[in-house]
Amino acid sequence: MKIHVYARLKDYFQPEFELLETIANTDELKAVLVKMNDSADELLSACRFAVEEGFIDKDFKLNSNDTVVIIPPSSGG
Amino acid sequence: MTPSSSYPPVAEVSHVAAPPAAPQTGTAAPPPGLSAEPLDIVGLLSRAHHPGAGAVVLFSGEVRNSNKGQTVEFLEYEAYAPLATKLIEEILAEARRKWQLHTAIAQHRTGKVAVGETAVVVITASAHRSEAYAANRYIIDRIKHEAPIWKCEYYTDGSREWGNNCNCHSVTGDATKHIYE
Repeated sequence: MKIHVYARLKDYFQPEFELLETIANTDELKAVLVKMNDSADELLSACRFAVEEGFIDKDFKLNSNDTVVIIPPSSGG
Repeated sequence: MTPSSSYPPVAEVSHVAAPPAAPQTGTAAPPPGLSAEPLDIVGLLSRAHHPGAGAVVLFSGEVRNSNKGQTVEFLEYEAYAPLATKLIEEILAEARRKWQLHTAIAQHRTGKVAVGETAVVVITASAHRSEAYAANRYIIDRIKHEAPIWKCEYYTDGSREWGNNCNCHSVTGDATKHIYE
């Protein structure tokens, strides 16, 4: 599974990386990411997730070939 | 500033989601709604006029020189372009529908933006001013809160800080729900 992160999340993770674990949903993905860097826990809890240019929720079934984009709270304008 | 003459006649563009920037030789044109080049607010305004519109409202969000007591040198905007563009187009379409706008345009900068430069512009045109004002506020609020666009502030002392996030989730309890909804 490929992961892309943006903005403040790049202070915690590489902008793009790959996870080899079997990850079924965003809750499991968050748990894996917190294991990688537990200081990102609070920020991750406020993030949204997207696959194929659309937001997904925690019930979305992730596949190993998905590219998941992790989107921190917006701060545009 | 991009010459306004590069834009097509008003009649052709009154309902576009966002105008394309002027073509850059050797570079790809930015996607609608986002621009890596300085925003041509005069050119954009020239596209907003419509014979049925008695009011045109232009909001320009600009980079100020201080924040939290620190002197700002510049901002850098990052976006997840595919989704940001899609969301901006959806927001504009919703605003057009709700307020029966003749024109709704929004463009947001990416990349480095200097103090005093425009970071985001929203233009609305409608028959009467109340709709144009309300729709303009609606569009900028939703872009700021929902579009995956982020600013990083760079200060003159060499430090940097990611901009104030939309913290609506701390009130609504849901990362996708905002306080104005």
